[in-house]
Amino acid sequence: MDQTLGDFIKALRNADVRVSSTEVVDAHDVVDLVGYTDREMLKNALALVLPKTADEKGIYDYTFDRFFKFDELDEMEMADRNDAAGEASIVPQQDDTAGQQGQGQGEGGGKGCAQRGAEGEGAPDITGAVQQAEIREKLSALSQMVLSGDRAGIAVAMAEAGEAVGLRNIHIFTQKGLYSRRILEHMGLKALNNDITELRKRDSADAHELAERLRKGREYLLSQVRDYVESQFLLHADVDGSHLREDILSKSRLTNIERRDYRMVQEMVRKMAKRLIAIHSRRRKVYDRGALDIRKTMAKNHAYDGVPFDIRWKSVKIDRPKVVAICDVSGSVAKVAHFMLMFLYSLNEVMPKVRSFAFSGRMGEVTDLFRDSDVETAMSKTLAEWGQGSTDYGRSLQDFAELALNDIDSRTTVIILGDARSNYGDPGSEIMKKIHDRAKWVMWLNPEEKNTWNYADSVMRKFQPYCHQVQVCNSLTHLERIVSMVLRSAT
Amino acid sequence: MTLVKPIKSAAGKIDSIESIRAGFETLGYITNPQIATSIYLAQNLEKPLLVEGPPGVGKTELAIATAKYLGLPLVRLQCYEGLDESKALYEWKYGKQLLYTQILRETLGEVLQGAKGLPESMKRLHQFSDVFFSEQFLEERPLMKAMRAPAGAVLLIDELDKADQEFESFLLELLSEYQISIPEIGTLKATIKPIVFLTSNNTRELSDALKRRCLHLYIPFPDAELERKIIAARVPDVSVKLRNELVAFIQGLRGLDLKKLPAVSETIDWARTLLLLHANTLDAEMVRTTLNVILKFQDDIEAVGAQLTTLTDEALKAAERPSGSL
Repeated sequence: MDQTLGDFIKALRNADVRVSSTEVVDAHDVVDLVGYTDREMLKNALALVLPKTADEKGIYDYTFDRFFKFDELDEMEMADRNDAAGEASIVPQQDDTAGQQGQGQGEGGGKGCAQRGAEGEGAPDITGAVQQAEIREKLSALSQMVLSGDRAGIAVAMAEAGEAVGLRNIHIFTQKGLYSRRILEHMGLKALNNDITELRKRDSADAHELAERLRKGREYLLSQVRDYVESQFLLHADVDGSHLREDILSKSRLTNIERRDYRMVQEMVRKMAKRLIAIHSRRRKVYDRGALDIRKTMAKNHAYDGVPFDIRWKSVKIDRPKVVAICDVSGSVAKVAHFMLMFLYSLNEVMPKVRSFAFSGRMGEVTDLFRDSDVETAMSKTLAEWGQGSTDYGRSLQDFAELALNDIDSRTTVIILGDARSNYGDPGSEIMKKIHDRAKWVMWLNPEEKNTWNYADSVMRKFQPYCHQVQVCNSLTHLERIVSMVLRSAT
Repeated sequence: MTLVKPIKSAAGKIDSIESIRAGFETLGYITNPQIATSIYLAQNLEKPLLVEGPPGVGKTELAIATAKYLGLPLVRLQCYEGLDESKALYEWKYGKQLLYTQILRETLGEVLQGAKGLPESMKRLHQFSDVFFSEQFLEERPLMKAMRAPAGAVLLIDELDKADQEFESFLLELLSEYQISIPEIGTLKATIKPIVFLTSNNTRELSDALKRRCLHLYIPFPDAELERKIIAARVPDVSVKLRNELVAFIQGLRGLDLKKLPAVSETIDWARTLLLLHANTLDAEMVRTTLNVILKFQDDIEAVGAQLTTLTDEALKAAERPSGSL
């Protein structure tokens, strides 16, 4: 298997693009067809095979650009040294005939390389360069590359070393130092260090100057390798870390989740809802009416000489779950409500018939808002509009009865999220009874732990008789279980 | 029965991405490198191409242009909820079948003449060729038509997201093996593999199984340069100045928060409208009267109408900058 492509696919997977093995095979076919020569074409071609949604295309573009970036090393001080080295290698050739007279002034070599190059041919310290060239020939390969400013050479050596020490297996960030060191070792840092020590020992200004340049080069090398390891780490690792995080998040209480993890949780809810809808996709029933299914009727009535005796029908009834969700957004449950709203939003995306309501003092429908705006606007608008005032269950349920009671039928599942704390007001349990009688399933999700139910102004016991199911719900694991239940019961 | 013939690709007209781009351009379909690459790969890897993107960016047009370019017949299957195999794949000719049984009954006497006892009669009956479920009684529907097209075909399965999930699964065999199974007959293999296009407006997510089997092309709204080229190809009579201006205006609209953003098809319609009205340049009044060509929701029209003057000015300014960029 093509290692480069394999690594690239691994990097894509790390970036959350789902690539199946069939697609890997396709990718190989694509590479066989278009080759690695034309970068743009390769990118366009692989984009057809690997990422399969618009979002993934974006991630793919980004990953491709980073992965197939030609490892350009920073220019930094390399640039001037490059010039200098270039001149130094050209000058002696030209001076074979002309430059002999300057021999006695070799000690001028203490000056900077660039300066000397600028002085041009015939300058007094040309022989210094000749001597330097002789010294340089004895140095290690890495030192020579550093001195001649061979950026491409260094990049190649670095990539080779990375390959040799298995950099693509890097997992967690604490390994970065280890891998940097291994790469440097593999590139021959030891020899470079030896060269520096060796040069310093010599009693020559040229050698000292070279040593100084090597020392600077080493620093540069260190920073390059660090950058390289860092970029490779971002491509190849991370995935385990993020899975670990998701795992922890799904078990933590909703209220404790920090804002910065918000987006991630959102993604998780989305993934979850999608998965669930995939499992519980629409179910169908064949009914005794609709169009005549000629094929089946013919087949069935063969036995009766083709006389249509036993008639078959084509009509298929598509049954979709109908969900009505009511969410308490008052102060006491605000943080969890935020979360529940987000979850409802995701449900809205994947199920066609979800009606959502929010209340604290009064109740209102937010279905349209959820459908037309993005999740953040929808939530903040809901909270701004309905999150004011103290909770009044009686009043809110009254509102609900006016808004949607007639819409509740034997296929509807009603989900209510609330702490059942009605500030000692009338809980309106007679409306709950009506809802209960009409709906297929009524579920109450309470963010409080069971032992605080019915304490103080909580009137859970008054609602409980009218619910088919009462659940504690304050973490994603709870939510996940509940959704699975909804979809099963709502068929 | 099975049609076993060597499977070869439809045409050798697709040998490089450049020739595809040039060829499509002569047909008035302006491609970007991604689109051209997708056609190239679909042909060379013999894989179906799933095209997604907002409505009106030319997903269906792509299939039509490909058919024209290759000189192949286009077989189109429009998807909708409740579409099933009897409408997509094949149907039995029931009338003929009924007639056949009646003829059979009349000739039964001849067939069974001289047969002694039931076992022998049954034996004779078995020897009698059974054509009740045979190709003679098969009514072709689009999918089968594409599979059996003698010179190959371009098969367009349009708006697949509108069909049911079950239909998607039903397509899998066709998409990966280019064959279809008819229970009464057996497996039918494509004589020449058709080039398959599937389009989706993303009203629902297509299944992973389907996506795995296809190349996936996403066509976004075109950038200004590409859109200018498209207008130049589709409405050549519009002056360069007006073209730049109207494209700049549409590009500006796409940056707004609208219910339905104007797509390329709307740009083309608008260009034609302005041409009819003999417009030489955009002005706020002209835009206001023709706004219903590009915006399809009253809410959107009102939202844009409020800031029409600024939008027009911006478009005019933007159009001046890349002047002569064609």
